[in-house]
Amino acid sequence: MSMEAALTGFQQAYYKHDALDLANCLKPTPVDRLYDFWRSTNEVRVEHNVKHAITYGLGGIERAEAQGWIDVFVHFWRASDKIIKADQAQNQGRLSERHAVEVYEAWKDLVQTFQKYIGNGTLPHWIIFTLYFVANDLRKFAIKADTQLAKAKPVTFSAGLSDDVVATTPKNQKLEEAARVFSRIFALCMSDRNPNLSESRKWAVYCIANLQFKTYFKLKTITLCKNLIKSIEAQADMPPWNLYPKAHRVTYMYYCGVIAFLQEDYNKAETALFNSWAYCYKGSTKNRELILTYLIPCRLITKSEIPSAQILQEFPHLQTLFGDLVSSIKRGDLAGFDKAFAEGEPEFVRRRVFLTLERSRDIALRNLLRKVFLAAGYEDLKEGQTEKDRMRRTRIPLAHFATALRMGSGGGQTVDDEEVECLLANMIYKGLMKGYISREHAMVVLNKKGAFPGTGV
Amino acid sequence: MRASPFDAPSQPAAAPSEKPQKVEWTPDVRDYVGRAFEPENTIAGISKEDTTKKLRDVISFFAERSQLESVDWSTYPLPQELLRDERAAAWAQAQSNPLFSSPNGPANSTFDTPQSKKRKSQDKTDLSESADMSVPPWRQTNLESRITYANANNQKRHKKNALSGDVTSKFDQADLEKRKQRFQLGKNGNSSTPPRNSPKPDTDADVDNAPCVGTNMSLEKSYFRLTAPPKPETVRPQHVLEKTLSMLRKKWKADKNYGYMCNQFKSLRQDLTVQHIKNDFTVKVYESHARIALEQGDMGEYNQCQTQLKALYSQNLAGNPDEFTGYRVLYFVYTCNKTDMNDLLAELTPADKMKPEIKHALDVRSSLAVGNYHKFFRLYTIAPNLGAYLMDMFIERERLHALANISRAYMSVGLRFLTDELQFGDDGECREFLESHGASQAIDKKIDEHGKPQFRVKVKEVASVFESLRQGAFAMVDIKGQK
Repeated sequence: MSMEAALTGFQQAYYKHDALDLANCLKPTPVDRLYDFWRSTNEVRVEHNVKHAITYGLGGIERAEAQGWIDVFVHFWRASDKIIKADQAQNQGRLSERHAVEVYEAWKDLVQTFQKYIGNGTLPHWIIFTLYFVANDLRKFAIKADTQLAKAKPVTFSAGLSDDVVATTPKNQKLEEAARVFSRIFALCMSDRNPNLSESRKWAVYCIANLQFKTYFKLKTITLCKNLIKSIEAQADMPPWNLYPKAHRVTYMYYCGVIAFLQEDYNKAETALFNSWAYCYKGSTKNRELILTYLIPCRLITKSEIPSAQILQEFPHLQTLFGDLVSSIKRGDLAGFDKAFAEGEPEFVRRRVFLTLERSRDIALRNLLRKVFLAAGYEDLKEGQTEKDRMRRTRIPLAHFATALRMGSGGGQTVDDEEVECLLANMIYKGLMKGYISREHAMVVLNKKGAFPGTGV
Repeated sequence: MRASPFDAPSQPAAAPSEKPQKVEWTPDVRDYVGRAFEPENTIAGISKEDTTKKLRDVISFFAERSQLESVDWSTYPLPQELLRDERAAAWAQAQSNPLFSSPNGPANSTFDTPQSKKRKSQDKTDLSESADMSVPPWRQTNLESRITYANANNQKRHKKNALSGDVTSKFDQADLEKRKQRFQLGKNGNSSTPPRNSPKPDTDADVDNAPCVGTNMSLEKSYFRLTAPPKPETVRPQHVLEKTLSMLRKKWKADKNYGYMCNQFKSLRQDLTVQHIKNDFTVKVYESHARIALEQGDMGEYNQCQTQLKALYSQNLAGNPDEFTGYRVLYFVYTCNKTDMNDLLAELTPADKMKPEIKHALDVRSSLAVGNYHKFFRLYTIAPNLGAYLMDMFIERERLHALANISRAYMSVGLRFLTDELQFGDDGECREFLESHGASQAIDKKIDEHGKPQFRVKVKEVASVFESLRQGAFAMVDIKGQK
């Protein structure tokens, strides 16, 4: 791609007002693409060449705006220079963190150039979407740089006057820096005072927010996510929600859902995740799978509902992830649950659903106890009662429950009697079972009008 | 003008026109001062600040003794000349001083600054010129020259150039050119060092040149926040610190004076830090402090030490990583920190999870996660090491949780049941707990057939009381543990 060739692409995209195509001109991958462009000039002449190409190549752009584009392409050239050097170093097996950092820094300059010219109104408002793509690349470069830095220096020991031997320096310096850049881009969007909403940068609010979410998740700073959501909610005068591109909305809802999930606000999480699910494009299997990864544990907590076999069939990954667990819960098989849970632990922990899924053991337990209840059969009919008055026995000896717990597959649970009581007490406390325990009679007295809410008995 | 580490940082370099108020300046003195700042009198490698400071020292030295007039200022060496000679002598002394060991701080970018580069070559040349000067080693007694950071930098340069035999004149123009070039080379050479995470290059240089080996022999030392690199005679070398640690451990067993202990430990840690000591002993110190903090319930200090230990263990230093990983788990249970707990779980290997201390802590976590108070309180009684102290921090809120549970599930229970389930010392303690939390009305006292009092607790009646107490107890933690 020579200088002229790159700019032809740019020209076409520009006249079509196509932000995505324009962004594609500035894509750093694959690296081969950049070689021609890189070779078409050098550090000494790049400004001159770009200026020439843009001024004469592009008709109809005002001088002020042209200057902006000149700057952009000069920075793009410099970034390409660093990217190619890093690529060469990698091929020669001598990639060091310095290369990755230089690529990151050069790309950051490109992003900031965009910021500057968008901010002062030189570049048209729709370029904000191009900036979104360029900023996304910055995120990737930052992660690469941090990985290289971490390899070079795993632990920092204190210099300076600190009291302690190890300096608590951040592990993700470059990504944190990138996050701050994104914040400023976000501010750029929110602060657009253009009364004509159709020409406002506010249309990029959600996609930039999504970029920030992605970054904060990697940095594990959930608080910052919360702040971001709050600031959007506080903003009046935005374009109507349902006029935003669906893709932006689905992603945004997904993140809101996960953020609520991580803070154990399962009701809120469920609403958001369900919304995201409902609008998600049926063809994006991966996205739908991601949504379900959090929606399923959520439902387990809020509604004590297990996902249907149908859903799990549709998503093989989820079947692998949740399959055994879900069938153990259904059967009331505690040993099976524990086994499936232990096996799935690494994956659950990685997706941060471990601590939530743990609580679904209660449902397995409830199902087991319900079986005991059903097995206890019916009271004998009293005088004057007919068949339809037949009621289930509601006074179940503790021993029955204890036996059921100890009987399970794989040797059952080793629980002493007090622990059985404790588990039953929990069921009642959490509303999964209605009744009370009588120690004196070593019995559970279940509610006649629904011992296990939501299960038909 | 003796500066000590406990003084406020020294005042900024006084401009030539600023002088102490009370003294009269004779023309001779003023002339001397003027000459000190004339450009043709600058000595390469001695900065204006250094000159100013030295000038101030010299003048106030005589002023204090009212001897300003007895000095022949026209022939008295200029401050920069004094500095130059001192440094040369110091370097000569440094050659033979066995105490010096190389510092192991990160790459020093002040090599790049022209000042240090020039000083380096300048001192190099001084070796041959002043090797036979018998001046007392500046490092040990002459504090005045140590006031500036520049001297500390010299010491390092000296060591690096120990064996170089270059003899060139200081003021040779060609030499200045060479030095300049060396500076350029040095700069490029260093640009490939890994980017450092430390705050500023100059603080790095300072600590790099901070006393590598302290000379303070006293066992005890109070803690003060450092605002400038410490003087070696205030810092205790490792062998002294080892004695300090045993002394402190014995003292803690004898009388539990936590305020004193904490203070001493902080100064211990500080001495380790400034001397860049990162070894098994360092781990011992942090572990000891952490344990004492745990016993005392000082979560803040404990957490600080824990953070340090985590990093130190990752360097494969000897210590008790299992014990402290167990504490980390319990700490996250205490703070209800789900995010960090998740990350910690991700770090543990299956082998780790079988280690007794870690397994215990994980069992505590999981039993609380499902509400199994019965198991939880049993685990409390068998907590290994100092786990029980950590668990003490949240035992009350878990008791309230359990009571909230029990009061919904039972109509009434015997007091003994509660004492056992919630692991109170005895019935009396249990009753006290119930009463102090507003459940007195539920306690029923009956006399049984043997005349002994039997207590029953009508828990159902106080279900809402315990529920709101439980919510309150956990709400506080949410604020703290929330990320």
